[in-house]
Amino acid sequence: MIRRTVLVVLGLVWLGPAYLLIVNASRPATSYDPGRAWAPPGELALFANFATALESADLGASLAGTLLYSVVSPLLGVVVGALAGYTIVVLRLRHGFRWFLLIFGGTVFPSQMLLVPLFVGYSDAGLYDTRAGMILIYTAVNVPLAAFVLRNFYSGMAFSIFEAARMDGASTFRIFWRVYLPISTSALMAVFILEFTFVWNDLIFGLTLTQTAAVRPVMTALAGLMTDVYAGTPVPVGLAAGLVCSLPTVVLFLATQRLFARGLSLGSV
Amino acid sequence: MTRAPMLGRFRHGYVAPAVLLVAALLYAPFVWTAYLSLTRYDGLSSPEWIGPANFAELLGDPALLTSTRNTLIWVAGTMILPVGLGLLVAVLSYDIRGGAWFRVPFMLPYALSGAGLALVWSPVLSHGGIANALLGVDTAFLQEAPANTLAMLLVWTWQQVGVNTLLFVVGLQSIPREPVEAARLDGASGWRLFRHVIWPLMRPLTAVVVGLALVASLKTFDIVWVLTQGGPGRNSETLAVTMYKETFVASEYGYGSAVAVMLTVVTGLASYLYLRRQVR
Amino acid sequence: MIRSRMAALGVAALLLAACGGNGAGTQPRKKSELTLYNDKGAWTRFFDEMGALSKQRIGLGMKPTGYTDSAQYQAFIKASFRTDVKPDLFTWQTGGMLAEIVKQRQVADTTDIWQEAIKAGDLSQDLAPYYTIGGRQYCVPMNVAYWGMFYNKKIFDRHGLRPPATWDDLVRAAATLKNAGVTPFYHTSVLFSFVWFEQLMAGTDPDLYDRLSTGKAKYTDPGVVQVMEKWKELIDAGYFMNPGDKTDPGDVMKNGKAAMVSFGTWFNTSMTQRDLRAGADYGFFVIPNVNPALPKTSVIFESGPLCSLAKAPDPAASAKYLKWWTTAEAQEKWATTRGDVSANPKVTIEDEALGRITKEAGSGKYRLVNRYFEATPPPVLTAALDGFGKFVTEPGAYREVLETIQKEADEYWSTHQ
Repeated sequence: MIRRTVLVVLGLVWLGPAYLLIVNASRPATSYDPGRAWAPPGELALFANFATALESADLGASLAGTLLYSVVSPLLGVVVGALAGYTIVVLRLRHGFRWFLLIFGGTVFPSQMLLVPLFVGYSDAGLYDTRAGMILIYTAVNVPLAAFVLRNFYSGMAFSIFEAARMDGASTFRIFWRVYLPISTSALMAVFILEFTFVWNDLIFGLTLTQTAAVRPVMTALAGLMTDVYAGTPVPVGLAAGLVCSLPTVVLFLATQRLFARGLSLGSV
Repeated sequence: MTRAPMLGRFRHGYVAPAVLLVAALLYAPFVWTAYLSLTRYDGLSSPEWIGPANFAELLGDPALLTSTRNTLIWVAGTMILPVGLGLLVAVLSYDIRGGAWFRVPFMLPYALSGAGLALVWSPVLSHGGIANALLGVDTAFLQEAPANTLAMLLVWTWQQVGVNTLLFVVGLQSIPREPVEAARLDGASGWRLFRHVIWPLMRPLTAVVVGLALVASLKTFDIVWVLTQGGPGRNSETLAVTMYKETFVASEYGYGSAVAVMLTVVTGLASYLYLRRQVR
Repeated sequence: MIRSRMAALGVAALLLAACGGNGAGTQPRKKSELTLYNDKGAWTRFFDEMGALSKQRIGLGMKPTGYTDSAQYQAFIKASFRTDVKPDLFTWQTGGMLAEIVKQRQVADTTDIWQEAIKAGDLSQDLAPYYTIGGRQYCVPMNVAYWGMFYNKKIFDRHGLRPPATWDDLVRAAATLKNAGVTPFYHTSVLFSFVWFEQLMAGTDPDLYDRLSTGKAKYTDPGVVQVMEKWKELIDAGYFMNPGDKTDPGDVMKNGKAAMVSFGTWFNTSMTQRDLRAGADYGFFVIPNVNPALPKTSVIFESGPLCSLAKAPDPAASAKYLKWWTTAEAQEKWATTRGDVSANPKVTIEDEALGRITKEAGSGKYRLVNRYFEATPPPVLTAALDGFGKFVTEPGAYREVLETIQKEADEYWSTHQ
């Protein structure tokens, strides 16, 4: 009971700003007053604001591209990272900790500083403005996280699982694919969610490495609406743009909640 | 069956994709930055070699002191708030009925992108805004240091708790059944059960959460950039913001790269020291 | 065993396939559609409309490639000079930023386009200096803006105020508003922290302002110190909003949080987007000089260039596009869709006040002063924006602020010119 109460109270605090977001995105674009931002809107203009925001963005062309990156790159990243984690921990790769450090080390670089050299490298290699190039960079960015999470996840598992499968004559890759990947679904899903969100909301790599609408991230125009003073966008429209951008991620959260609901009972704490 | 065939002979092949991707797309580009840190360069003409002069200048730069202080606040604050609250929410919600739904409010903010975050929070943190009204104070939360860093840390907490909760939940799910049930038969429950049985068993994923938070907080950039751009008068800059401003806004690529190198070394070292203890 | 190897090979093959994507290297030289790189991601729709119009009129389409962070955008454009990825058209900044890339021989010469456009009355001679380097013209104006004061007309009417004719009038109006409990002026500590500095400098001593931006004067000179003291005086008198107030300036005007907001004419978009009507809800006036002895009223002028590269993929097509861009037909569309002013004097501006200042500026009535943002070299500008941001929160620190900016300026000018 105490646990529920604490969760509900904290949850309400967390929903406060979310309330501000929804209330103000629903306000008619012309009647926003930050001094009364908490007050419910007189009339609902959420869809009108959506429409205004979407009007400025050419979503059709680039939606497919962005969706492709945010699904394929995390998938590849999760598999590549999990395989590395599995090899290091379960297959006890020699100098495994060093290999792990090498892979995790990919996260320590400030990504802003990678942009210019990546752009130059991509244009030399013919990867600039290609979907393959985008998938490649997003996968690379996602690998260290996946490797870290799965490496540690597998380190908590009994070696006997591996031994038993090996005795049955399964190959090491088959064991990874048929045994280790399935038992780590929730970890894989958690990593996928984080990486999907990262790719979906990313502007820095997406803008620097692409040019044509079909390859570019879908959010450019919407993000521009929210930040550019020259656009003069009313706050409710900016917020509506923010909501539109967040929608796919929210859907993903809700659709995968069930995966994180299973598990053993810890008893009443 | 000897050990080698048991574990397979193709092991290096399995880490190769991960290593190659990371090396080619993350390590290699940074070599350029490392080189630039030893030059004077405006992004346009050719870089002019000046040796370690940028690093010497860095040591005497008062702005760097502020950035370092703020970055440390970010690191400490991140460990306490987003990580601590993430653990709390995960543990509280883990095994109650419908627990997943109790977590939804904490997950939602994570979906919001940086620019949206600024729009939502500016009427709250603005002078004369909602936070002033609720607390009955007259502080300009985004103006005065270190209040502005703390205020942004709260916004960050709002956004990040869900992620940490998610990873902690995965950690809880990975706990083997037997030791917990054995302890329970021994009469352990509540805090004692958590502290002595569950917490140690969660350690692999706790290390992930802390390790990731450590790296991310040392590199704090986006949230500061959208809320204050490091101001006013540089008082809320973090190391990453200093790096970005020097490099791209002021076009001092050499100096900005030196900050980047320093930041990278610090981040690398900190995560190495942490991981060596926790993960090995 | 074999299977696991196959799988690993499969992953490797996938990576190789991804690596070998077809590049942007081999395009035909003749182009029928140009890409316009810009840092105005929010204007994508307006650029698209221009692209549709140009395709129809000159058979040359245009697609925008927008960025949202101008620093990142500029780094990208500079880097593109070293690669095969060359923009057909791109937006840039006048002042030092333009001079810098012209010096690198990157920018296509547009002298012919300018001469013809001036002859045809599509561009005014007054604008040319901002686009002239070493006697030749480069780029054409993408947008122009004149800076002045937007004011809340209802508040002015309520307190019996009219747009001021002199600086003293303006200060008196501020005092009246302040006494009535209305905050007179907006200012901010983020990005646009330079606005009042440039305005006071230009209205007090525009020559000093120009010398300051070319490194011939110092921020610690008495003239500059006096301007800061003047600014501090106005802040101390309580004429400004708290800079910690993060309200969007458009909403500041709309909700009467402050009676006056100083911005470029493009701020008009913020007004119309909020359904405010010019003349009824708000108005615009030219800010009078602080020093009444100056021969002409100083008006801050801002212009963003649209450029093409000397080594553009199809230089003829890019030049053709720039030429069309300056015509009345193109400018009419460009200005009206955004509700903004135009560089082409033939374009009729619907908004009366904006139309007036455009016409007057074109006729030489004002002394146009290049906006601080363009006039100041990037390292000095960065220090100055931070400095003014600090000053507005802590006005007592003005000397320290000026010294910090000067230190950066010393360093910059010691290696430039």
